[in-house]
Amino acid sequence: MVYLDFAATAAPSSIAKEEYRRVSDLYFGNPSSLHEAGYQAKRIFDDACKRVLSCTGLSATHRCVFTSGASESNSMAIIGSALRYRNRGNKILYGASEHASVKESCLYLAKLGYEPVELPLRDGAIDMDALEGSIDKQTILLSAMSSNNETGALTDLSRLREIRRTHPKCLLLVDATQSIGKLPLDLSFADFISFSGHKIGAFKGSGCLLIRKGLLIDPIIHGGSQQDGLRAGTIDVAGASALSVALEDDFKNIEPNLRHAKELKATLLQGLSGLTDLVEVNSPEGASPYVVSFSLLHHRASVIVEGLSERGYCVSSVSACSSKVDASSYVLKAMGKDDRIAANAIRVSFGKTTTAGEVEGFAACLGKLLQEVKRI
Amino acid sequence: MKCDCLMIHYGELSTKGENRKSFISCLTRNCRAALKGTDCVLSGRRDHLYVELNLTSEQEAVNRLSKVAGIQRISPVYKVDKGIESLKAEAIAAMKESGKHRFKVSCHRPDKSYPLSSYDVCCALGDAVLDSVEGSEVDLHDHEVNLKVSIREDAAYLSTKTYPGLGGYPLGMAGKVTLLLSGGIDSPVACYKLLRRGIKVDCLHFAAPPYTSGQVIYKLIDILKELLPYQADFRLDVFPFTKIQEEIYKHAPEPYCITIMRRMMLRIAERVAKARGSLSIATGEDVGQVASQTLDSIYAINEVTSFPVLRPLCVEDKVDVIDLAKKINTFDISIRPYEDCCTIFKPKRPKTKPDLAHCKEFEVRFDFASLIEEGLKGIKTIYVSLDGVREEEPRQ
Repeated sequence: MVYLDFAATAAPSSIAKEEYRRVSDLYFGNPSSLHEAGYQAKRIFDDACKRVLSCTGLSATHRCVFTSGASESNSMAIIGSALRYRNRGNKILYGASEHASVKESCLYLAKLGYEPVELPLRDGAIDMDALEGSIDKQTILLSAMSSNNETGALTDLSRLREIRRTHPKCLLLVDATQSIGKLPLDLSFADFISFSGHKIGAFKGSGCLLIRKGLLIDPIIHGGSQQDGLRAGTIDVAGASALSVALEDDFKNIEPNLRHAKELKATLLQGLSGLTDLVEVNSPEGASPYVVSFSLLHHRASVIVEGLSERGYCVSSVSACSSKVDASSYVLKAMGKDDRIAANAIRVSFGKTTTAGEVEGFAACLGKLLQEVKRI
Repeated sequence: MKCDCLMIHYGELSTKGENRKSFISCLTRNCRAALKGTDCVLSGRRDHLYVELNLTSEQEAVNRLSKVAGIQRISPVYKVDKGIESLKAEAIAAMKESGKHRFKVSCHRPDKSYPLSSYDVCCALGDAVLDSVEGSEVDLHDHEVNLKVSIREDAAYLSTKTYPGLGGYPLGMAGKVTLLLSGGIDSPVACYKLLRRGIKVDCLHFAAPPYTSGQVIYKLIDILKELLPYQADFRLDVFPFTKIQEEIYKHAPEPYCITIMRRMMLRIAERVAKARGSLSIATGEDVGQVASQTLDSIYAINEVTSFPVLRPLCVEDKVDVIDLAKKINTFDISIRPYEDCCTIFKPKRPKTKPDLAHCKEFEVRFDFASLIEEGLKGIKTIYVSLDGVREEEPRQ
C-alpha cells in the first residue's frame, strides 16, 4: 500500500510510540496529585510543554495548552477569546478556506450575537487587501491558516504580521496544522497557534494551542484547574510528551524534509503535466510542497479514488464517495473554481517517508486509470 | 408463579394436508436451531410444539422464537395437575399475578376422558377467581386477560398471555430463491419477506469497481448479519460487473443504459440461480418507484427470461418498506453512503417507457454473452453465518 494522504493523518513515529510507552509505564501518575507519582508526571508534562515551546522558538512569548487536537484548539481560541473580549467588540474575521472547526466556531458565535465575516481569497489564501478593508475597531479576532489543508496555499505572513501590529486590539489565531514542523515559519506575532499531534507523527487525540503569555481566555471545557484552568480534565501526559518529541524531531529535520517534499511535488507535477487534457492543478504557485490538489476534468473523483485504492494508492477526494450528498470543496469554490472542478478534486499529500518511486508509480497508475475508466 | 414452558402454535401449517408432517419436522428443526445454546428442551406434538424452559428466561426464548418463520403465536404456559381443585388454585394465582381484573376463561379439552366438560371447567374456574380475586369481573368480549386452559393427556396447561409469531411457513419448506441484493433499502426487506414465507434465500450482488466502492461488500455483510436470526446462513455471490457496465455505456444511448443493465442482471441471475438450485429469482423492485421499475420497464426487462421472478415488494408503499427496514434493523445500514451500480451512473433522463425493439437493437452491438461467461467465472462467494464470515475466491 502506498499512502499519500499525510494531510489527513500520518502513522505515529517510532520515537513518539517509544515515548508514549515509556511515559505510560514509568509516569502514569495524575500530574495534579500531591505525591511522588504525581510530581513525576507533572515534571514530564512540564518538560513536554517546554519542548514544544523551545522547538517552535516561542519559549519567550507563548505558553502551551495541550488539547485533543487542532479542532479543539481552534474552538477554544475562537470561542474562548470572543467570550473574554466581548467588551472590545463583536466582529470576527476568518478566511473562506479555513478549516471547518474555525468556520463552525465562528458561525456558532453568530448565534450569540457576534458578527463573523468571511474574507475572500486570492491565490487560495486570504486576500490581504480585503482583510485590510474589513478590519476595524470592532474586530476582536482574526483567524488565518498558515497553509491550506486542501491546496497547500500559503497565507502572506509578513502582511499578516503588519496588520496585526497596526491593530493591537485584534487578536490573531494562526491554524498551523498543515505547516508546523514542515515549513520554517516565525509565528511569534500570533496570539494563538493551533495544531494537531497526529499529523506530525504523534497520536490522534493530542494537539496544542499555544497562547501568547499574559493573554486570558475563557475556557470551553469547565471543571478542574488543570493547565491553569484553561482546559479541565486529567492531562494525557504520555500523549503530550509523545507530541513534544515528535514535533522536536520534525523541527530538527525541517530543512532536509522540505527539500525532499519539494522534489516529490516536482515529480508529481511532472507526472501530471503529461495529463493536461485530463487534469487541472488547483494548488497555486508557491504553495506548500507537502500538498498538491488537482481536479479531474472528465472523471468522477470518487470513482478514480476508489480505483486508485484498489490498486494500492491511498489519496483523498473531497469527501466520501456519494452521489447522495453534495460533495464539493468549499475551498476550491472560494477560489472561484466551478462546481465540477470543486466536486472532482483529488488531494495528494506527502510525508517524510514518501519516496519519489511511490509518487512516480502513483502518477503512472493515475494516467492508466484515466484512460481505462469511463468519462462523465 | 413462574412460567416453565412455552407452547408454540403453528400458523397456516394447520391447513396443510399430506405435507403436514414434513412441515412440522422442518419447523421443529428450525426452532431447535434458534434455541441452540439455551437450556430449552423441545418436543413436537400434533398441533403444537412444546418448549421446556429449564434455566432459560421466558423473554430470551420468546425473542429467539419470534424470528422463526412458521410460528403463529407463542404462549408461556404453566403445566399444572389436572385435578379441578389444583386448576382452581393455579387459575387464582395466575390472575393475581397478572394484576388485571376483567377476564374470561376458555377451555380446550383434547383429553376427552376428563370428567368435566369444557363449559363446566370454565364455570368452575370463573367462580373460583370471582370469589378469591378482589375486583375481578367476567367480560367475555372486552377482557384484559384470557385465562386459557388446555386439558391434555399428561397434564393441564394454563396460560394468560400470547406473543405473536412471525407467521408464514417454516424456512426451507418452500425451496430457494436467488435474490438480487444491492445494499439499498428495498432488497433487504424483500429478503426478510421471502424468509418469513419459508423461502430460503441466496444472494447475488453486482459489483462494478471502481464505479462502486469496495465498502459496499461490508455493508452487505452487515445487512445479512442482521437477517441471520431468520436464516442461519447466507451465501452471497459477488459478480464482477464492471466490463459489462462499461460496454453498455459504450454501445447504448444513455436513457436506455439502466434498462439494458437490468436485462443483463436478470440474464446473469438466471444462470446463477440455476447453478445454485434456486427455483426463482427475486428482486426488491417496487412498481413505479424509479424509472427502471415502471410496468413498462419491468416488461422490457423481464423479457430476457422465462424463469420466475418474484417481486415481494412490488405493490408496497415506500414508507411501509422503510418501516419494515427499521424493524429488522437494516435501514441504518442501507443508508450508509456508498454507491452501488444502480446509482452511480444514473442517466439524467432514463427511459420510463423503454421500447423492447430498441433494447434488442442496442444489445446486439456488443458480445454480452461472452462477457457474461467471463464474469460467471469471476464470481467471488462470501458465506455469512452465525459462525462468522468466510470468503471464497473464484475458481478460475
